[in-house]
Amino acid sequence: MSDEYPSLLRSEQMSLVQLFVPTEVAHDTVAELGELGNVQFKDLNPNVNPFQRSFVGEIRRIDEMARRVRFFSTQIEQEKDVVPIRPLYDSAPLITVGPRAAQTMDELDVTLTEHESRLVKMNESYQKLSERTRELVEARHVLRETAVFFDKAQGHRADIRSSFDDSSAPLLQHDDRENQYSSGSVQFDLEFVAGTIDRARLSTFERVLWRVLRGNLYMNHTDIVDPFVDPVTGAETRKNVFIIFAHGDALLAKIRKVAESMGATLYPIDANADKRSDSLREVTARLEDLETVLYNTGSNRRSELVKIGESLRAWQDVVRKEKLIYETLNLFNYDVRRKTLIAEGWVPTRDITKIQLALRHATEESGTSVPPILHELRTHKTPPTFHRTNKFTEGFQTIMDSYGIASYQEVNPGLFAVITFPFLFAVMFGDIGHGFIIFFAALYMILTERRLARVDLGEIMGQFFYGRYIILLMGAFSVYTGLMYNDIFSKTLHIWHSGWSFPQTDADKVVGVSNGHMYPFGLDPGWHGADNNLVFVNSYKMKMSIVLGVIHMTFALCLQLPNHIRFKRPIDIYANFIPQMIFLLSIFGYLVICILYKWSIDWSQASTQPPSLLNMLINMFLSPGAVDPKEQLYAGQAFVQVVLLLLAAVCVPWLLITKPYFAWKEMKKIQGQGYVSIGHGDGAPRDSSDEVLEGEEEGNGRAIAEDTDEGHEQHDFGEVVIHQVIHTIEFCLGCISHTASYLRLWALSLAHAQLSEVLWTMTLERFLGPTSVGGWIGLIIVGVLWFVLTVFILCLMEGLSAFLHALRLHWVEANSKHYEGGGYAFAPLTFANPDMKE
Amino acid sequence: MEALLFNVDSGFLEGTVRGYKGGILSQSHYANLTQCETLEDFRTQLSATDYGNFLANEPLPISTATIADKATQILVDQFKYLRNNAVEPLSKFLDYITYGYMIDNVILLITGTLHERDTHELIERCHPLGIFETMPALCVASNVEELYQSVLVETPLAPYFRDCLSASDLDDLNIEIVRNTVYKAYLEDFHSYCTSLGGPTAEVMHRILSFEADRRTVNITINSFNTELTKEQRAKLFPSIGRLFPEGNNQLAKADEVDQVRQVCEGVSEYRVFFSDAPSSTANSGGGDEASSAVSQLEDRFFHMEVHLNKQAFLQQFQYGVFYAYMKLKEQEIRNLTWIAECIAQDARDRIQDFIPIF
Repeated sequence: MSDEYPSLLRSEQMSLVQLFVPTEVAHDTVAELGELGNVQFKDLNPNVNPFQRSFVGEIRRIDEMARRVRFFSTQIEQEKDVVPIRPLYDSAPLITVGPRAAQTMDELDVTLTEHESRLVKMNESYQKLSERTRELVEARHVLRETAVFFDKAQGHRADIRSSFDDSSAPLLQHDDRENQYSSGSVQFDLEFVAGTIDRARLSTFERVLWRVLRGNLYMNHTDIVDPFVDPVTGAETRKNVFIIFAHGDALLAKIRKVAESMGATLYPIDANADKRSDSLREVTARLEDLETVLYNTGSNRRSELVKIGESLRAWQDVVRKEKLIYETLNLFNYDVRRKTLIAEGWVPTRDITKIQLALRHATEESGTSVPPILHELRTHKTPPTFHRTNKFTEGFQTIMDSYGIASYQEVNPGLFAVITFPFLFAVMFGDIGHGFIIFFAALYMILTERRLARVDLGEIMGQFFYGRYIILLMGAFSVYTGLMYNDIFSKTLHIWHSGWSFPQTDADKVVGVSNGHMYPFGLDPGWHGADNNLVFVNSYKMKMSIVLGVIHMTFALCLQLPNHIRFKRPIDIYANFIPQMIFLLSIFGYLVICILYKWSIDWSQASTQPPSLLNMLINMFLSPGAVDPKEQLYAGQAFVQVVLLLLAAVCVPWLLITKPYFAWKEMKKIQGQGYVSIGHGDGAPRDSSDEVLEGEEEGNGRAIAEDTDEGHEQHDFGEVVIHQVIHTIEFCLGCISHTASYLRLWALSLAHAQLSEVLWTMTLERFLGPTSVGGWIGLIIVGVLWFVLTVFILCLMEGLSAFLHALRLHWVEANSKHYEGGGYAFAPLTFANPDMKE
Repeated sequence: MEALLFNVDSGFLEGTVRGYKGGILSQSHYANLTQCETLEDFRTQLSATDYGNFLANEPLPISTATIADKATQILVDQFKYLRNNAVEPLSKFLDYITYGYMIDNVILLITGTLHERDTHELIERCHPLGIFETMPALCVASNVEELYQSVLVETPLAPYFRDCLSASDLDDLNIEIVRNTVYKAYLEDFHSYCTSLGGPTAEVMHRILSFEADRRTVNITINSFNTELTKEQRAKLFPSIGRLFPEGNNQLAKADEVDQVRQVCEGVSEYRVFFSDAPSSTANSGGGDEASSAVSQLEDRFFHMEVHLNKQAFLQQFQYGVFYAYMKLKEQEIRNLTWIAECIAQDARDRIQDFIPIF
């Protein structure tokens, strides 16, 4: 089986293998297998705490290294000027396998530690320096602002005198005078506190001070324009300069205390103007010195970061891989006496030779002579499901996997979805123009996929990119159905000779006359614009939906058969598949045949009226055996319908009873042979003790791994009955509702056609045939508008809606007919996922 | 009725808090944690829980204080998320939860200032949920009056402090009295607020707050033995809610020794366990060591009872009690983690089991 050509029809055949890995090569082996990405390791010590496992020490070391690397990357991210980071595919790989692996890791560890300590030291000094700079800058601001303030006060003093002299000054200038008075007295007996405070806290500060001092203060403050940037976190803070005048040592002490506890910084400012300008000069000089030093430190730090940036990605990669390797090694069973690690895992049977090669390669690489030994185990455990996909089938498979992972070796609906999915989509999206738009969009993504795959496209675009092959097929199929509907942006293509001519016979209406031509492909363009166009198209699309739906469902039902044959369940064929098939075909298969038959008859020549097929189907149930001769489709219709109805009626009890009956007979047979079922109470412990015994006898090298918990499903008779009852009801009702559900094909396709027609008439149609320059400009503007709306509403929104409905038809209507979906996905150890965002 | 409309405003948050509650460490987690040899093991073990990688970026070696800080930070973040998404009346309820922390912070700052500690150091030690912006200014006050006038008047705590305004200077005893009076006022106010909400919230919160009040009453009584506190003053500190109120409180106000307290607690069946095996120590009350161990035992039992009541709060839906209960449970969990980490750090293996398991 394993040499079969890989197919998507069934999941890969898997084998449970056991690996005996000598400790020396364990690391390299896992590294090699991780590169290969083909082995899913099982946890052999599920009962051991994470920190009690064998390789905790190594993991811890890697964690520490990872922390350092994370520290570097956050530092680089916070740096304002972008530090170049060399991408992974560009940097020299760090070899962590082979005899020099341990040394490489040690060296890496040392390098990281060195870089970290250097960076931390630089950060510290940088921070200290910028702290001092900030203080100086603040001091300078305080000096300047207070200087402005004092100068103003100085100026006012002159005014005060003059105002005192002028006795005729109006008393109502109270405000002004008080201001002058308080500022005038500044110089003489009020003392003050000056400093800076965070702008957000200013109002609180002011309020608290006012309350603490009961209003006995005069406070002035101005904004500092430039924000202060914290060098480490990069956060910006805005500050204010304040100066507070108060009287008395006690009050000043209080102000100082409050200011300090509110996080303000106080600066000693002298009341003397000369001293102030002296200190301003001094501060400026010191600031200049400091800034030079700061600049040097900053550039040093930056060059260090640039150096780190060169190899950051490589380090990240190594650290990630090493962590994965040791975490995997922790899953292994560690045999101290024999110095080997024992691993168990699932591998695709086909790849065993590749894995053998990889193992040998790992041995050579590490320079030892003891190769790891691999051998297959027989098991009753259900293997994981592994569909080998390529970039084309991946998207389709994902659609089915998100419904449920297929059971092991079950027929995989993902294979058929490759065609049915785009087809059902296109039935709802039939338009040549829109089809071409999405086809070319997908084509663009496919042609540039090498480039696009490397770029992070964001969540939404990333999804479109992931489904690019689905979109491609959807576009192609839409073009096809668009040709069938003869619909291009709500217009028609007139390629061949139309079957209808419209001679002008009457003044206000034109009646089409058949001219003997037959339009060879798709809808006759003559229908376009006819009054009864909608009636005709609706009837046609509705019937087509039913036909397609029944075919799709029948096909899905047939997919049961290979499953039953593969898993050797003949009873299911007789008790499930055949009655279901008969039930479906005798009602809806018959309907489809009637539809096709009705289409094939030229009713203008026939003796009877064309019958309504819906009424026919309803009457088939309500009055079996009686068909109105006026509405008869064919001779003998009544008899055929009675037979079909009886067939369908028989299927229900058949479906309901057969399987439980066989199950019951089976049980009787076993009991008749004298077997008694063993109570679960003593069954389970016996098995497990066997396992323990076996383990003790053979060390850990047992050839057969059996898990007694799974595998043996409970054959409870009651359960079978209930399950079958539910199944029967679900199927019979499902047949009816699912058939009706396929009418969405018609509904959506109608909605799409109407919407595109509305868009055409509302925008572009009125501006066609421009006569003036204004008309041309209008045409261009409206044309652009029409195109944008076409892309966004008709292609994107309608496309998503049609996609959703196609999805539903696959998940609900088709999958419920055959798909078990009870498997679990194959999750191999692989390094291939370079997801750098942790 | 509340079942009909509760989810309109609070359904999401209740779901969130119940989800958070699912992350509370269970018995098996604790079993694993107590087996750790070093704090690094401890970190590895915690990373497998809902705490995740909260310590991953900490350089080695880790201190127990860091663990407690980071764990509290997680709790604070969760609370802030809840608070930011809450609307009335839940937002008010959540605010009430923070008032408790505010009172603690105020008292901490006053006490610290009294002992001349550095204000910034004190602020760092404050619980992040109880920080308000004018808080640092507390350090200038020297008596309660001033405290109230300058800072507290604009905080939500103002009404609670109004009852204990006196110009007397702040000293250790006075601060204790202030703390208890304020807390009493807070509990009563919170209780009346919950009662005004009505429905299951009132029921659940009544249970929890009653216990909280009783616990304070008993603690105040026991701690006031042999101090300068007069019995009248003591009686004033008892909250006027709780299951011991009013007869129990009256008797406790007159109590002189632990035995009398025990008798009072006998009156409530749930509280009987608090003193169940205490007699051995009260019999020879001369041994101060044993008496203190009895008190610490009592404290442990209080915590057990609290955890039990808070767990029960989760049994009822459509009420706000879960938010309060979650905060308390999580606090207990942080205390447990700190305890275990401390035991590991100090190699006190024999006492590592003395935490209070939650689930």
